Amino acid sequence: MKNISRRNFIKLSSASAVAVAHSLSTYEFAHAAGPRPLPVGTPILVIVTLNGGNDGLNTVVPYLDSNYMSLRPQLAYKEEQVLPIGDGLALNGSMTGLKSLWDKNQLAIVRGVGYPNPDRSHFSSMAIWQSASRTPIKTGWIGRWIETQPENPFLAISLGSTLPALFQGDKRSGTVLPLGGLKTPTGMIAQDFAKTSKQTKLDGQLSASAARSMRDLFTVADIVSPILKNPAPLAADLPTVIGGNAGGQSNLGSQFEAVAKLIAAGVPTRVWSVSLGGFDTHANELSAQSQLLGVVSNSISKFMSQMRTIGRSRDVTIMVYSEFGRRVKANASDGTDHGTSGPVFIIGERVVGGFHGEQPPLNRLNDGDLAVTTDFRSVYGSVIEGVLRTPVDRVINGWNDRLPIFTA
Amino acid sequence: MESADRLAIARLVHRVGFGPKPGQFGKMLKQGFKASAQQLLKAGLPDYGDVKTAIGVADLGAQPKPNSEALAPYKVAKQAQLRNMSLWWLDQMVVQEHPFVERMTWFWHGHWATSFSKVDEPVVMFDHIARLRKHAIGDFSQMCEEMILDGALIYWLDGQLNTASSPNENLSRELLELFTLGVNQYSENDVKEAAKALSGLRVVKNSGLVTKEPRRSYFGTSTILGTTGNFESATLARHLSMTAACQSFIPERLTYRFISPASSMMSNPKKSAARTKSSAHIIREAFGTRQILPTMKSLVFSDSFKDPINSQVKSPVEWAVSVFRALQITPSTYSQPDRLLMLLDALGQRPFFPPSVGGWPADEAWLSVASSQNLIQAAQAFVSEGDLSPLNKVAKQERVDALADWLGVAEWSNRTRTAFDGALRDPARLTVLAICSPEYLVSA
Repeated sequence: MKNISRRNFIKLSSASAVAVAHSLSTYEFAHAAGPRPLPVGTPILVIVTLNGGNDGLNTVVPYLDSNYMSLRPQLAYKEEQVLPIGDGLALNGSMTGLKSLWDKNQLAIVRGVGYPNPDRSHFSSMAIWQSASRTPIKTGWIGRWIETQPENPFLAISLGSTLPALFQGDKRSGTVLPLGGLKTPTGMIAQDFAKTSKQTKLDGQLSASAARSMRDLFTVADIVSPILKNPAPLAADLPTVIGGNAGGQSNLGSQFEAVAKLIAAGVPTRVWSVSLGGFDTHANELSAQSQLLGVVSNSISKFMSQMRTIGRSRDVTIMVYSEFGRRVKANASDGTDHGTSGPVFIIGERVVGGFHGEQPPLNRLNDGDLAVTTDFRSVYGSVIEGVLRTPVDRVINGWNDRLPIFTA
Repeated sequence: MESADRLAIARLVHRVGFGPKPGQFGKMLKQGFKASAQQLLKAGLPDYGDVKTAIGVADLGAQPKPNSEALAPYKVAKQAQLRNMSLWWLDQMVVQEHPFVERMTWFWHGHWATSFSKVDEPVVMFDHIARLRKHAIGDFSQMCEEMILDGALIYWLDGQLNTASSPNENLSRELLELFTLGVNQYSENDVKEAAKALSGLRVVKNSGLVTKEPRRSYFGTSTILGTTGNFESATLARHLSMTAACQSFIPERLTYRFISPASSMMSNPKKSAARTKSSAHIIREAFGTRQILPTMKSLVFSDSFKDPINSQVKSPVEWAVSVFRALQITPSTYSQPDRLLMLLDALGQRPFFPPSVGGWPADEAWLSVASSQNLIQAAQAFVSEGDLSPLNKVAKQERVDALADWLGVAEWSNRTRTAFDGALRDPARLTVLAICSPEYLVSA
């Protein structure tokens, strides 16, 4: 098992040096900047983005509200199909994993989350969520947080192929890790790249960034590649069927598995980003959405179990959000069109489990849409302070609101 | 050759073109900046003839019903059309001596950013780009008039859902904010009023044909930016494009892409701020007539264009096309054209797929660990098929300088020269290193 400790790290890099003679061992920067393992007790944030606009009303279901049945008869779940959690609300029937976390007080559900004058464009609304700004700006909220921290290519890692707007900083951004890991050339040319990626005093800001991203590629690949070959931590306290041991792994499941391996190895990462698409359910919503929510729920409960196995469950907080909720009424194709607010889930042993924020009332819709009862920046505020341990207004300019989501 | 001139000419050939073909940079150095710039800006388009017929891009008809037998061939044909038109456009960027008009078309593609991901009809996207090409260096007002009635753009921004009784403001808002005036240059009421003028449009999805349906249209006056009148699409386009806000906004966008994102925001704290300001003024004045070519001329001859502070990162398409030009690779005849498009996709930019209506990002957004990996992979793939004769034919000790002239790089840093030293015997390795170096990724 490959872990990052000072000793293992040196062993690991010399093992690589044997494997690819004269290449990686020549990275003097790798030794100079070799990562220290993340101390146990350091809070870790995992952000889960649900792309497409998740239908909040069929995620946290107001199954006892007569308006729910009358407004979307084709799409309404009945009591026996859902998992009641009190207050007349229930989780989607596929979310048994999250239901068990709810029962342990490890799931906070923030209701009616959105922003004033909702934008129904996927792009604009996702840009608003990821930048935490109502007007277009270039940086993402995590990107701005990254810039409050010392430089570290491992600090924030997004699983996928492109940099999410969330991670975009002004001068420094988060790291993108393709699910298949990073492949770097070996042999002579790797040595050459070590030289071209050195920074020089004459570099302007952009040349310095170009050199740094090339250097970070080798640094990150050097550390990460062997770790991704490790077996995943065991989800010891889950029945194997939920543990995903039966049947194939979903893409979100694979992303979570990579995160679990890297956390288990002590990679010094404070923020992870994973994502799942397919929530834009304009047609035939019921089966599609419940299948996706099942994937989200199973992936999270397995991941939290793995974190318990490796002793990091108290450190990890998961946040699940989508760019908007959907219209209350069904459309003509048994789906729903773009709407407004939706629930945000915050999961972890340090959260104050239960409901936060008001449920948007179904008898007082705005133009057929749910009201926004909680500003999403207040959720971020809680996370920035409670998990990232940073004053909120250093990340979201002029914002100080928080919700009591975290225990002290 | 003065190093200042080398820098200016490197910028010219990479930013206002798509990088030099072999020998082109040396020729431009001999001619000097002024003559080179004049020649480049003068370059028009070759006669393309009937491109759609030649590459088989045509109306595919309505999508067959799910589970019908016709669905699979329909999807295959759609993929083929998209591939052909992508490669055709990349070919034009690569093969033309001075692809200035295609460079401008590429700029406008990022400006009126419309994506195949939603439009989903090859011929409609092809026509969209053809319209941009038609006006790429022409009259901005006319471009606006025509783009407002472009099927791809309307469909992309839900313009066909905007009716008098049930307005959809998506198209109207982006028209004001992103295409003509810039953010904060209009009120929410202007958005609503402009939406009225644009109401009742219908788009035939598979052909892009746009009609206005009186039954769904608003008739009456609207007040837009303080002017009241019976606006419809053409008068609205003219009205917006003739505003003072537009006269500032379009030059700012041109400056953003052709000079530098930082400079366009005028947040430049250094002593060149005054120069930047006066360049901005000159470019804005040149846009007074709304003619794009003279505006580009004043931009290229402005002080800011040559100011060493205004470096920028090449976007992936700009990078790849400049590599193809140097290596003499024609995308459509590349051994695996699909892989070529996939490599661009992996780098985060391919024609017809801007990520959002805001267009592509700039500068640092293109620099990440994953993009470094993808760059190396793409560079190795391209170099393995490229023509390396500009290096092969010169002696080892002259290769570093030959490399700079071949690729149009103003100057290698000592760091990169040190790396080259170990690779002088191996032109392929040298080329991969050079096109992945900071000096090539960044247009200095």
